[in-house]
Amino acid sequence: MSIAVKNISKRFGNFTALDNISLEIPTGELVALLGPSGCGKTTLLRIIAGMESADQGSVHFHGEEATHVHTRERQVGFVFQHYALFRHMSVFENVAFGLRVKPRATRPSESEIRERVMKLLKLVQLDWLAERYPSQLSGGQRQRIALARALAVEPKVLLLDEPFGALDTQVRKELRRWLRRLHDEMHIASVFVTHDQEEALEVADRVVVMNKGRIEQMGTPDQVYSAPASPFVYRFLGNVNVFHSRVHGQWADVDRAAHVEKDEALAFVRPHDIEIQRESSDGALSAGVLHVQAIGPLVRVEVEHQGEVFEVELTRERHNQLALVAGETVWLRPRNLRVFQGEQMVSSQTFDLGAGI
Amino acid sequence: MSTVRRVNTESLLVRCVLIVLALGFLFFFLGLPLLAVFAEAFKQGFGPYWHALMEPDALSALGLTLLIALLVLPLNLLFGLAAAWAIAKFEFRGKSLLTTLIDLPFAVSPVVAGLLFILIFGRQGWLGPWLQAHDIKIIFALPGMVIATMFITFPYIARELIPLMQSQGKDEEEAAVSLGASGLQMFWRVSLPNIKWGLLYGVILANARAMGEFGAVSVVSGHIRGETNTLPLHVEILYNEYNTVGAFAAASVLALLALVTLVAKTFVEWRMQKETEMLSAELPPERAPLAAVVQQAASQAGDGKLEAARRSPERIEK
Repeated sequence: MSIAVKNISKRFGNFTALDNISLEIPTGELVALLGPSGCGKTTLLRIIAGMESADQGSVHFHGEEATHVHTRERQVGFVFQHYALFRHMSVFENVAFGLRVKPRATRPSESEIRERVMKLLKLVQLDWLAERYPSQLSGGQRQRIALARALAVEPKVLLLDEPFGALDTQVRKELRRWLRRLHDEMHIASVFVTHDQEEALEVADRVVVMNKGRIEQMGTPDQVYSAPASPFVYRFLGNVNVFHSRVHGQWADVDRAAHVEKDEALAFVRPHDIEIQRESSDGALSAGVLHVQAIGPLVRVEVEHQGEVFEVELTRERHNQLALVAGETVWLRPRNLRVFQGEQMVSSQTFDLGAGI
Repeated sequence: MSTVRRVNTESLLVRCVLIVLALGFLFFFLGLPLLAVFAEAFKQGFGPYWHALMEPDALSALGLTLLIALLVLPLNLLFGLAAAWAIAKFEFRGKSLLTTLIDLPFAVSPVVAGLLFILIFGRQGWLGPWLQAHDIKIIFALPGMVIATMFITFPYIARELIPLMQSQGKDEEEAAVSLGASGLQMFWRVSLPNIKWGLLYGVILANARAMGEFGAVSVVSGHIRGETNTLPLHVEILYNEYNTVGAFAAASVLALLALVTLVAKTFVEWRMQKETEMLSAELPPERAPLAAVVQQAASQAGDGKLEAARRSPERIEK
């Protein structure tokens, strides 16, 4: 079932949690709401679930207005950040809950409940834990039980609030992959909230980057990473070097006549999009090497230009060719760069460095 | 060789002095009076003791005390639950005022509380003429005593539940609703089981107070023998009549009630402790990847017991 959110606004006292948000999520898509804490992503998720009411705007499920439909009737599966498992019920009863509270007419029989719950527990690979209590489970196990419980009522929409927030890196990676597979099997619209960019980029079909109650950018993981629509998205998704027009004129060159000079222009370049050269060439900035550090498959080089420190990432291969040492002077050239003035993008350039590298 | 003393251990002498002090205090202020009550009650043997208890006035006082407790507790259970629910699960204007008001009965002298109700419901009170016109008797009758006792015991249940419910948050309730539960189903299946021991604890405390209440009830009861006398009032009357055996016999019943309450309270506290240990345990650290977790499954059984709760619900010490 598709979800559509139209012009949603929500205030808590003086704080604007959501500012005129519109969003569409087609069936079968896994969408990540990504943003720093306090950006309104959880509020948006709760409004979709019906646990919070919006001041303005509407929510539609499969084209039908659902703004005033009670949570109970929305048929959403909600997975809470801290799982919210029923602490006094066994794992089995937790998963069975949604079936047991159905009205008598639609409630499955005891044997049917048993069968369905065990099937779900098998799906999350935890059927051997059926008799345990939530407190006897590890974080990752609780997470999967919470998911099984949400899926028991066959929701049309799956909503997850920071699903991997409280877990270890290892477990997190496993669960991500697992959630992705699960979503593909279920063919429903899923939305998950996260502040972890890596998670969003890795798992989601589409990433919605939010900041201060607004949507900064919507797009595929590749779009938001390689073509950020705003300085915020640039900074929030991965490392970035910022060059100022005043200092690094050549890079952040703006057609000044066309713009009222208000904000200075900034050029954003990812660390891996900077090429280091030994010889000067057109448009290259000279820089001093400060520090060279090998991190896994990459070599991180810190360089200094006009008193500012920038980060460059090289492949090991390239680094072996260059054999950089701290203290020497090199030339920097961007492969890919985007210039922003204020919030507005003014130019985007890709440089073909060709055989020069 | 010199022994290194740890910072948090006192010398033997200090420890002995402290223990003797504490035990001595307990004996003089708690043990001795309790002994005295039973000693006085049985001074003339079991016969007179039994006789004093089986006296119609004593029986009626006991009956009235139980009746009041029986009427007050369900009502306070309801109000306490409602107030705690509102305070713990919702944000609203005047919330802190409500929290303060709940504590009011603790701050007001019971006698003053009793007088308040005379002012409201008494013959010269605000509602007096209207009540008289409709032939409703509140003061110097059972309703007045129930109202006064309710006022006095109101905070116990709410105060017990608020911190407990606050610490549990409302995630589980929201989860229940999102799974399709109705309000009632949510309450019976999720909320109530989570607070049942705290609720019981509050009820026990409220009950002890309800049965022992003297001041407020004394003001509104009118001391009509066989009619509006509760056990504490009965004790006072007999004592003023120099009927020592009768007074202490009745007092011994109250003392027994107190002892039973104490045992029940200890039991519930112990259960609550166990429950919180089991239920609010922090997430255990998880390092092993899923496959390894599956393999460890068998050996892990019972690990949950090791996760000691970091916090137990706040206790209000009286």
